[in-house]
Amino acid sequence: MSEVIFGSKIMQLLIAFILVSTFMILGSTRLYSCVRAFGIQSFLLAFVAGIVAYSTGKYDIYIVALLTLIIKSAVIPYIFIYIIREIKVKREVELYVTISPSIIIGGILVVISYYLIRSISIISELSSLALSASVSLVSIGLFIMISRKKALMQMLGILVMENGLFLGAISLTNGMPLLVELGIFFDVLIGVLIMGILIFRINKTFESIDTDMLKTLIG
Amino acid sequence: MVDNYLFIGFVAFYLLGAVSALVFNKKDALCSYISFLSASIGALAGFAFSLSVILGDTFHFILNEGQIPEFGFFIDKLSAFFILVISISVFAVSIFSTGYVREYFGKKNIGYLCFLYNMFILSMILVICANNAIMFLIVWELMSVISFFLVVYEHEKIETRKAGFFYIVMTHIGTGFIILSFLIFAGTSGSFSFETFRAAGSTMTPFLKDSAFLFAFIGFGIKAGIVPFHIWLPYAHPAAPGNVSALMSGVMIKTAIFMLIRISFDFLGASQAWWGYSVLAVGTISAILGILYAVVEPDMKRMLAFSSIENIGIILIGLGASMIFLSNEKPILSAIAMMAALYHLLNHSVFKGLLFMGAGSLLYSTHTKNIEKLGGLIKRMPFSAILILIGVLSISAMPPFSGFVSEWLTFQSLLLTFNLDSNFAIIMLSISAAVLALTGALAAYCFLKFFGMVFLALPRSENAQHAREVNIPMLAGMGFFALLSIMLGILPAFILPMLDRIAASFIGTSGQSFSFGTFGTISIPSSAWISISTPGLLAIVLILMFIPIIILFTSKRNMPVYETWGCGQPFSTARNEYSAIAFSKPVQMWFKGLYRPAREMEVTYSSQYLKESFKFKSEIEQVFEKNFYTPVVDFVMAMSRKAKVIQTGSIHAYLGYIFGILVILFMFIIAGGS
Repeated sequence: MSEVIFGSKIMQLLIAFILVSTFMILGSTRLYSCVRAFGIQSFLLAFVAGIVAYSTGKYDIYIVALLTLIIKSAVIPYIFIYIIREIKVKREVELYVTISPSIIIGGILVVISYYLIRSISIISELSSLALSASVSLVSIGLFIMISRKKALMQMLGILVMENGLFLGAISLTNGMPLLVELGIFFDVLIGVLIMGILIFRINKTFESIDTDMLKTLIG
Repeated sequence: MVDNYLFIGFVAFYLLGAVSALVFNKKDALCSYISFLSASIGALAGFAFSLSVILGDTFHFILNEGQIPEFGFFIDKLSAFFILVISISVFAVSIFSTGYVREYFGKKNIGYLCFLYNMFILSMILVICANNAIMFLIVWELMSVISFFLVVYEHEKIETRKAGFFYIVMTHIGTGFIILSFLIFAGTSGSFSFETFRAAGSTMTPFLKDSAFLFAFIGFGIKAGIVPFHIWLPYAHPAAPGNVSALMSGVMIKTAIFMLIRISFDFLGASQAWWGYSVLAVGTISAILGILYAVVEPDMKRMLAFSSIENIGIILIGLGASMIFLSNEKPILSAIAMMAALYHLLNHSVFKGLLFMGAGSLLYSTHTKNIEKLGGLIKRMPFSAILILIGVLSISAMPPFSGFVSEWLTFQSLLLTFNLDSNFAIIMLSISAAVLALTGALAAYCFLKFFGMVFLALPRSENAQHAREVNIPMLAGMGFFALLSIMLGILPAFILPMLDRIAASFIGTSGQSFSFGTFGTISIPSSAWISISTPGLLAIVLILMFIPIIILFTSKRNMPVYETWGCGQPFSTARNEYSAIAFSKPVQMWFKGLYRPAREMEVTYSSQYLKESFKFKSEIEQVFEKNFYTPVVDFVMAMSRKAKVIQTGSIHAYLGYIFGILVILFMFIIAGGS
């Protein structure tokens, strides 16, 4: 079943776009455009969920798609923009690794993920596309967390990782039970709120959200 | 059926004590009365329960029948004996505590202390009852952690916090070894139940047996405070409040002895000779070193803690001898040695509890632990003085007090070694007996110093000058123990048959060796060899000896009253007195090699002949701390400092570690898959 869905042309196109949106986050130097790219990624993800729901005929996946649309592509980007405005942070992404090496590393990670999924033989050729995209998302999300200085980007990185996991889960199982999905959405939302509060606190204490400052905390 | 009610009853009373302490937290006096009263009722129920098990059948109580893991309580005669010891101590200490905690009223949180106190007792009891290794480890940790909280009760003092840290680190190292030992058993038996451990003990290979024993010996040895793992004990026991130190020193370290007996006799059958020799050697060394450090210690609670190490040593000598006899197939002798060890264990918990409560009383009324600063208290605290004197005589093994009987029994069991064929055993046990004799003499010396310096002569400080007699509950608690010390000393005829039943329950052969004649005469073994002790008779002789002295003192004669040790001087002050350091000086000189004393003298002269001031500082080196623990700690610290390099404090670096490992794992899978 899942092969049919994920093998379809439109699905492949969506997954490709999701990867492209991830590279948009990697490649932009403005906080706003990063958040926008994340919003687009989540929107595409909602679309993927919608197609899965349509082709399997499971109604609860429609709810999942709707929740993705509302929470991930609207509420969370809004929270981001709110934080950026409130703490009057410089709108630029400060980097450890500059843009062009970042994109090259991202590309390498995608290749590694593709080979990784291929080498796990139990997964069939077709759904492996979605799965390798999901592993790429997780590893690129982690890479974003490492290479960006601002605490906001760490938050964004973990959300990209979460999106990757969502893609992986839906491509393997054709939609987990609704209860589980609801739990995950709730976690993500609360997580974002807590991280937001944390960023406010960091900003208050250090007068900056540059996580380099946290080095002074070691004993 | 009655057993069931008693068991639930005493557990419930301790729980009640703990809960009510929290409920009445705001009212100090009410809270302490209810919670300590409840603990002492629990102790009475525990006493009845343990007697009924010792005289009756093994008690078995399973909480979740048929489930895995099965949690339950298993109380055979050996466990019952330890519950008996705990209950007796708890009863006296609880009465004492109602008076003692008055010192903390308004200053500290009484509800917290009472809660921990009750939970501490409960956790000790559960350690004794546990039927399952997992449950045992949980309650064992509970006991360690609660006792840690009790040790740091006066946490505003920096040395208390240090002592607490020291204690919790050592006790966790011990738990690590215990887990190793249990894992070896569980690996063979395939289950964590103690019953299967018992079966596994006989099927294990000798190597596994040896390592299981060794790990258990080290793990429980740390808790018991054997040399060289004793170093936490002289810090932790004095730091705790007086009533808690009485329980820790009197009872808690005995739980380790209990498990040692359980594992080496009950599970492993004491089959290897070298186990016995190592226990004997460690016991002998603990006994002599413990008392040597006690002699020169000016802090009375620390001195008592060192003396606990000595007494644990004596108990281990008995255990070791018992193991040696058993492995040489002399079960009757083994039973006698075991009885000696158990008797000493009981006695020690009584007189050490008494002395720790005594030290607590002295602290209560003088606010100092330093022996040098006391003196002349016999006039100010006459009742405490008499009670502490009984404790002192008992710990010094003077007939007819309790310490005498058990040390005499230990000696007897060591001297029975001539029944063995092995020359090595004979030599080892004889050496041990000789060292034990020296230990006994030094103990008497040490406590003579303690009593003399604290109670006789003139007060050496303001604190001692203004000391007053302690309140009635404290005297009652000590009085109960003092009475018990005398009873255990003159009535061994009633206690030994009971110990015989206990020893017989896991050694297999009853001692069958005691016959009791008139005046409480004991002879062991009853038929063949001659060895007679008559504590009762000795008591009468001693009392008769006192008659002339009493007559001498009571008859009114015309005699001049003058200061003690006046020596012809026009007046004598406290500064003329013999000090505690001076008193212990000879021992310090004889054992110079061990103590390595560092001395500093500073004299300033006002003129050529007149000294203006004189300062004397003397310090004793702690051999094990300096030569073993300090290097180990330094090494660990140095390694940690090196490892700290990777801890940059940067979030990016930490995430980078995760990322790196993730990528490496990916590569690994790719390489493996294709």
